[in-house]
Amino acid sequence: MSELLDLAQRVVRQAQALGAQEVVASVGKSISTTITRRDGKVEQATESTSRGLSFSVLVDNRFSSHGTSDLRPDAISEFIKQAIAATRILEQDPERALPEAPLCGRGATAAALDVLDSAYNARSAEARATDAELLEQTAEKANIPSVISRSSQVADGCSQTARVDSNGFSDTHEDAWFMWGAEATFQEGGKRPEVSSYFGARYLTDLPEPQKIAQQLEDRARERAGSKPIDSGSYPLILLNRATGKLLGAFGGPLAGSALHEQRSCLAGKLGSRVGSAKFTLLDDPTIPRGLASRPWDGEGLIARPFPVVSEGVLDSYYINVYYGRKLGMKPTTGGRSNWVIPPGDQSWEAIAKAYPKAILVDGFLGGNSNATSGDFSFGIRGALIEHGVRTQAISEMNVSGNLTDIFEKLVEIANDPYRYSSVVSPTLVFEDVRFSGT
Amino acid sequence: MSQHRSPTDWFGPFGIDAELAEKVLAAAAENGADDADLYFEHATTTSIGLSDRAVNRAHLSIDLGMGVRVVVGDQVGYAYTEDFDLESLLRAARVAAQIAHRGQKVVPVRATSRKISDFYPTQRHWADVDLVDRLPLVRNWEEWTFAEDPRVQKVQVSLADTDKHVLIVRLDGTMVADYRPMTRAMVGCTMIDGTQRETGHQNLASRVGLEYYTEERQRRMVKEAVQRASQALISESPPAGEMPVVLAAGSSGILLHEAIGHGMEADFNRKGISIYADKLGKRIAPADVTVVDDATVIGARGALNVDDEASPTEKTTLVENGILKTYLHDRISARHYGVDSTGSGRRESFRHPVLPRMRATYMEPGPHPPEDILKSVKNGLYCETFANGQVQIGAGDFAFYVRQGWLIEDGRLTKPVKDVNLIGNGPQVLESIEMVGNDLVIDEGGWTCGKDGQSVPVSQGMPTVKVAKLSVGGRR
Repeated sequence: MSELLDLAQRVVRQAQALGAQEVVASVGKSISTTITRRDGKVEQATESTSRGLSFSVLVDNRFSSHGTSDLRPDAISEFIKQAIAATRILEQDPERALPEAPLCGRGATAAALDVLDSAYNARSAEARATDAELLEQTAEKANIPSVISRSSQVADGCSQTARVDSNGFSDTHEDAWFMWGAEATFQEGGKRPEVSSYFGARYLTDLPEPQKIAQQLEDRARERAGSKPIDSGSYPLILLNRATGKLLGAFGGPLAGSALHEQRSCLAGKLGSRVGSAKFTLLDDPTIPRGLASRPWDGEGLIARPFPVVSEGVLDSYYINVYYGRKLGMKPTTGGRSNWVIPPGDQSWEAIAKAYPKAILVDGFLGGNSNATSGDFSFGIRGALIEHGVRTQAISEMNVSGNLTDIFEKLVEIANDPYRYSSVVSPTLVFEDVRFSGT
Repeated sequence: MSQHRSPTDWFGPFGIDAELAEKVLAAAAENGADDADLYFEHATTTSIGLSDRAVNRAHLSIDLGMGVRVVVGDQVGYAYTEDFDLESLLRAARVAAQIAHRGQKVVPVRATSRKISDFYPTQRHWADVDLVDRLPLVRNWEEWTFAEDPRVQKVQVSLADTDKHVLIVRLDGTMVADYRPMTRAMVGCTMIDGTQRETGHQNLASRVGLEYYTEERQRRMVKEAVQRASQALISESPPAGEMPVVLAAGSSGILLHEAIGHGMEADFNRKGISIYADKLGKRIAPADVTVVDDATVIGARGALNVDDEASPTEKTTLVENGILKTYLHDRISARHYGVDSTGSGRRESFRHPVLPRMRATYMEPGPHPPEDILKSVKNGLYCETFANGQVQIGAGDFAFYVRQGWLIEDGRLTKPVKDVNLIGNGPQVLESIEMVGNDLVIDEGGWTCGKDGQSVPVSQGMPTVKVAKLSVGGRR
């Protein structure tokens, strides 16, 4: 890590010597290994070690940013010269200046974030190979009728980052991740539907046992069988915990400072106003121990702090980085989300669903998009028709549509099952009167 | 700069030559290998952006590295390095070689260079264009956008270009180099009319140099961005449910990309996980439907002189008069099926192994004038511009997002619509193509295809086409 920090410091000094008033340099190194097995043998083994330098400069109030994987000292020196020269050609943009030093720093200690599993460095190539084989053998036991193909994957990696800002802030960060998963394809008439079960975690021991992955694969294949579209209409939407990221991600688009500044946000002017029902609370928390999007500081070096985005239906915060904060005259929060957390309710989604004669459970999406300016969204879905809490028909080839400015007004219940294997730590969400199109 | 220079010319200053490549390949094949290759890459990218009436941001980047692949049967070992010293290259080769356990080393053939096609002739390479020469372009685009309509309140403009050099050296002694330029331009605007506000964007992309930006092309890009914002202001969400759909000529090729293209990638088929895995030689569409994936479209974003494992590229006919003729092959799948590679082995960068991928996918023109196609629809949806799509390879279900279109009533375009997802099943939609227009357009947009975490530039095209029914995700 000291090697990375030394390089970042050197880049800052060189850029300043060439006339940059402000500089941020970040040097990263990442390692990852992936083993994919199919039909009882390794299908693909990939190992990578990657390094890179990125830096941004402010020269006479002119801004530019740069990146390179060519870390030969001479090449770096030449690249910095080119970057400074290119910056001088641009027009001034003084709002790009670095944040004031007191805003920068660490929001949680490395120990508190707990995102570096010591098991990572102790992990041998043999252990990975053994885990991959065990996972494949276990997944083979999943009872999937008419199965055509199965594959399994074991992957892990770590990354180190050193950051030096010319405003005096400098720090390092290190984390690791692990991922296990399996897939299967089965024959169903002329179709070959595929199902998968993947899990990611910061700690190896936080991943589920291979038996759970195999069981989930089996369950998903059974739940997927016979899928088809049903009648178009308005139904209650049961959005399964692991699928909430798509809708929440669309909601996050118009919260961005860039969208507000460019006048393309359907949520402009809504700060302090209702954007959802009283059930809707959304927190941004970069300090969750072992969180998949936990971090000590954000992309501008701002101290990572938890903050409410929406509290009981009222919009509390936009995502404002330093640049757009100056443009908009707003206090910066952070430029990009970390972990999103929706507090859980008391009941299982199955118990909640009993109240509905017919509802649509959505457990995954296919395509679709949203318009941050108008708020309109339209997503392809897969899932199931739920009648009084019981799955009665697998669903595919349908769309769900609505508007981001009112969909969360329709949020009526929140289940008790927060999803732990994602940076979107959300329980299953239940909405009423949502538009679906099918046959 | 010559397109057909000696392969080591570009990488020579980095110490890369045939002798060094031979040493690295020998390490890669030391445990035995059916195939092995080295992929050297050096890409420099420059982008500039304009907002708030100032050219106020620039980004320069350099990507340099080598990927090494060892193939044993259908098993792949892969590693890469960003250092070009012999020790780093050998270390990467030995990591990739761990996939092989035969213990019988294979000796590489000394590499000799091979000439390749020239599907992206370039007059003015981006490396020869000063940053200051790019500035008038983006300033003009901004000025023209504001001038186009007084309701335009905000304008964002960007111009990015890449000069990429690759050198591929194979175990069998093949060595090819390719210079791959790419440029991409984007104009976006926010338009406000009373309480209504909307945005419009247009982008262009091509494998070519600065000469691409003729005034006509630039002005067309600006007009389309403004027109899209203007149309969006008066557009509504269409009705929901199944209905006939007419796909406009051009970027509607996204339907082919999702409904057919991915399913034709041979890795999915040799594993039996594509819905088209048992359909070779069978009818999958009406006789008017011929679909190609073409690396030879001059200057297209998806054009390729040579693929990323040194196979010659071609125009590949996937579906001919409704019959499925071939899949898109890389070397592994070609060996599996006992056919020649179609030159479809591609990768995002030296950090990624090769996969069979699309290049420029389009449908050949059919017999019908587009106005006759429109007249044949009583009530339906006309799809004009698109954002993104996705497919489930095995189930065949696919979706694509329509940014803008029109309702069709009694054979005429009546009300503008926007922001709707369309979903269907690939083979069923192919069978339900009722009319193919005579007006093929290959879209100039900056399309990017994702697969297994890798993104590659592609092109797509389509004549006007009528599909009997698709599920429309409208709000009414």
